[in-house]
Amino acid sequence: MSGNWLIRGGTVYDPLNGITGKVKDIYVKNGKIVNKIDEFDIKIFDATGMIVAPGNVEIHSHIAGPKLTAGRILRPEDHIKDPVKAKHSLRSGCGFSVPSTFITAYRYLSLGYTTLMEAAVPPLEARHALDELEDMPVVDKGMYILMGNNNIIFSLLRKKEYKKAKEFVGWLLNATGGYGIKIVNPGGTDSWKWGKIFNSLSDETDWNIKPIEIVKLLAESAEEFKLPHPIHFHTYNIGFPGNYKAALDTISKLKEYRAHLTHFQFYCYGGDSWNNFRSESVKVAEEIRKCPNITVDMGQVLFENTTTMTADTPWQFNLHKISKNRWVSADVENETGSGIVPYTYKSTNPVNVIQWATGLELALLLDPWHIFLTTDSPNGGPFFLYPQVIEWLTSEEARKKIIDKLSPRIKKRMYLPNIHRELSLADIITMMSAGTAKALGLKNKGHLGIGADADIAVYKSKESISKTLSKVNFLLKGGKLVVKDGEIVDAVGNGKLLRVVTNVEDSSLEKYIKEYFDMYYSINFSNYKVEHDYFKNEEVVPCGGSI
Amino acid sequence: MKKFELITGRTLKQGIALHIGKTTESYQNAVAVAYLNKVDMDENFITEGKNILLSTDFGRVVVKALKDDIPKGMIFMPYGPWANLLISVNTHGTGMPDFKSLIAWFSPVDEEVWSWEKVLKEVKTL
Amino acid sequence: MKKIDNVICPFCGCLCDDLSIRIENNKIISVEKGCSISKSLFLNHDKDLALPTVYGEKTSIKESVKEAVNILSSKKHTLIYGLSSTSIETQRIALELAEFLGGSIDQTSSVCHGPTVLATQQTGINTCTLGEVKNRADVVLFWGSNPLESHQRHYKRYSLFPKGMFIPNGRKSRKLIVADVRPTNSSKLADIFLQIDIGKDYEVINVLRLLLKGKKPTSDIVGGIEVKKLKDLLDVMLSANYGVIFFGMGLTMTKGKYHNVEAAISLVRELNFHTRWSIEAMRGHYNVKGAGSVFSWQTGFPYAVNFSLGYPRYNPGEFSAVDLLRRKEVDSMLVIASDPAAAFPHKAVKNMMDIPLIVIDPKVSISSKIADVIIPTAQVGIGTAGTAYRMDGIPLRMKKLISSPYPSDVDVLSSILSGIKEVKK
Repeated sequence: MSGNWLIRGGTVYDPLNGITGKVKDIYVKNGKIVNKIDEFDIKIFDATGMIVAPGNVEIHSHIAGPKLTAGRILRPEDHIKDPVKAKHSLRSGCGFSVPSTFITAYRYLSLGYTTLMEAAVPPLEARHALDELEDMPVVDKGMYILMGNNNIIFSLLRKKEYKKAKEFVGWLLNATGGYGIKIVNPGGTDSWKWGKIFNSLSDETDWNIKPIEIVKLLAESAEEFKLPHPIHFHTYNIGFPGNYKAALDTISKLKEYRAHLTHFQFYCYGGDSWNNFRSESVKVAEEIRKCPNITVDMGQVLFENTTTMTADTPWQFNLHKISKNRWVSADVENETGSGIVPYTYKSTNPVNVIQWATGLELALLLDPWHIFLTTDSPNGGPFFLYPQVIEWLTSEEARKKIIDKLSPRIKKRMYLPNIHRELSLADIITMMSAGTAKALGLKNKGHLGIGADADIAVYKSKESISKTLSKVNFLLKGGKLVVKDGEIVDAVGNGKLLRVVTNVEDSSLEKYIKEYFDMYYSINFSNYKVEHDYFKNEEVVPCGGSI
Repeated sequence: MKKFELITGRTLKQGIALHIGKTTESYQNAVAVAYLNKVDMDENFITEGKNILLSTDFGRVVVKALKDDIPKGMIFMPYGPWANLLISVNTHGTGMPDFKSLIAWFSPVDEEVWSWEKVLKEVKTL
Repeated sequence: MKKIDNVICPFCGCLCDDLSIRIENNKIISVEKGCSISKSLFLNHDKDLALPTVYGEKTSIKESVKEAVNILSSKKHTLIYGLSSTSIETQRIALELAEFLGGSIDQTSSVCHGPTVLATQQTGINTCTLGEVKNRADVVLFWGSNPLESHQRHYKRYSLFPKGMFIPNGRKSRKLIVADVRPTNSSKLADIFLQIDIGKDYEVINVLRLLLKGKKPTSDIVGGIEVKKLKDLLDVMLSANYGVIFFGMGLTMTKGKYHNVEAAISLVRELNFHTRWSIEAMRGHYNVKGAGSVFSWQTGFPYAVNFSLGYPRYNPGEFSAVDLLRRKEVDSMLVIASDPAAAFPHKAVKNMMDIPLIVIDPKVSISSKIADVIIPTAQVGIGTAGTAYRMDGIPLRMKKLISSPYPSDVDVLSSILSGIKEVKK
């Protein structure tokens, strides 16, 4: 289905290969970007005057899995705001903060995204995430597997069986079809199963282990297995005033490791109560700058009614208490949990507007290879509103529209009024494709060099960067035409499941796991590992390391 | 006639029989029954295993009366086409019919327990 | 003869995955570890099979599919119904078909835990997977549910007897409370049994909530229970380290319906401010949870969905199957993996008789007895593989044990869909 293409004369942005705004031809053959082709049978797209960029790579979004289903069920009122009709080969559905699966894929494609990473999957329910991902056509996808509250890892850590614990990490990635290791409030989600609020890296949990031991074990596993993406970490104390200390604590403890710290704006707060809540993005950015091995993503908030959902069950309980909104929670045996609370961010709410400022500050204080554009969708807001975030990042005037309405008292609690930097088109493209692909270790994504997957986005140049990037005009995915004249023309067929396969050598490991299962799980061990049938159309990303 | 509160629900016998076949005698024996309190049965001159004509505002059916540990004033029937002859199609805007807490009354009859064919015939003509 | 272990049972929401099945000459000859219902299911797997039939005449699968295509492509408003006793893979295609036809689609939650879904939409829910119950739950409360009759191995595998990580003595470490309108086999094992007056669950649960808030009701007896006894019950619930309420049709079908469930969910939520509690719906069919999930991820809505305007609309009471039939708003019906003629109030069944009816089912059912077209298929978990989600959401892969003479639901629905697309080209 994918033929030969020539994308002719476009203004190419390929930050990974040092190209920012050079007029260049791009050739595609067999789904890959190649050198010039001299074949007769070639389709030509005239991209003169248009922006050509790599297909975007989403590094963190909640799009598929049991908590998405629970979130969708919870919010029929969110769906009826945004119904989507079926159109030729496109399925119907609904949008807004918890869109249905087809609409999720279509809207991401319309923004030029061709690869999506699902942010948090419980291993026990991996098949469910895979089932939903299968109903997101065209895009390539991967999953981060939740491990930070895994009781098997806790048991092995407590017994100081570090090697076995690391082998288990590798085994779990193989068993679930995952791409990377996700950690959410290590020890915290597990503690809340007893109603305990546990919020630290250094204190001991009821398992007599310190969360930092869990994190280090997982970080070392990522290193030793040579995983393409390091630990993907939602650290402790999210959302609270004064939690910039948790951010600094986390960064300092991970200095020696590679790590990705996610939706980090949510950890840049000062003050000690909601009344003197303020931004401490400057302090946090300073520390991040010192760590070239650590990347972050924004987690930007938008002033919308959205649906918060994370595996940070105590945090979600808190948000329910604060907002008094409906609350869904689910404890997942031996592994993790989830919580969902609808929430509205308002520009008239001092805390929300400071959160808004903090996210933008963080992005404007760091370089685009260090921090990526996300809203932790849907926690900060729905992903399809990314163009609004782009507008704020690239236009001080757009930021002023909100800042000018604020009282001096509020303005004093943020840095944004004094930040004049406006990100460039190259910066934004880096934050959405090149930077994220690099952090993910996806060698064939996020760039337009020879050998890259032919995931190519072409945008009509408009009066602003955000308007330009708000709708892709022409999109190839794996060399196949998906978007033409701004409309999706073909969304049939699935993209690839990107997953890692680690080299786990310990043959006694499965015996250990089975014993654990017999005692503490409610399913049989032999029914746990995801069958290969679910990895239709996979691309195994090689790792090569071992413990 | 004395009014009773009728509830319908699952039974083990019903679960086992439905796999033997919905049109088999086993299924009918498991499902075309109404469980009553012994005192209620005695007061209405119904012996165990006797057939009764059970009625509500929405229909009627002939089933076998059996004794069980049911509170006085209550009748329990297994889910199925026999019970459904007694249930209103009104869901009060919820989608869910009133499968429990219906007002019913009964009397002894000499008729055979209705077969599934008779039940469907009754459905068609009601 | 071959023996297959760790077989998953395709009956109820327990989705037990530890059965051992012996097969000889493509026939199941023994079942170990399953409950009496699952034994009946597996041992009768080849009995009373449906036959391909068109207007009462036996025919081939091909012909019955062809007639199904004829009917559905010529009708204005089709209702697709059932789906809880088949795989995720089948449910996907059913939704695609409903969307293509611009019809309505509903699944058995509509007459089962639909009110639970409505309650969750109103008020959220705090829940857990069954292994949490095994490992942590020291107080377990069954409200309006009779698991020993409906989910036979639930007590044994998940909720009452198992030893768990923090429950070293199994049954002895747990308190069982059963609340129902009559004594049942399940209540016989209870440490505390509350016999509630019919239709009074809402009042009783709300009085518990009132007492939890430190207030007193105006009467001494509510729903047939002394308030003093409710106070004692609340003390037991507050003493739990991790308590779980399991509930069934006793709440969803009784007067009040989703309000009853809302009250129970609210009680659990409020208990979470004192200790830890979860609440779990006793889902009836083995993949009804899956049906609700697929509906939700493909359309946004869990059941009672209509596509007449080209996009999914949701309205239980309007697009729910019983109501569509009551108001005679559908001119054709496709039943798959369910038996509504045995499950619906009779007036709805009558209206089913008056419209073209296609039934897709492995077995003879009451619905097949009034159907115009019958298409037999292989049973998921026996004659074909497929994914199912347990009552608590855990997804498992059902195995194919024997070769069925019939195609899968997936194959049949796909053929029907492509046939209709051909006609409507």
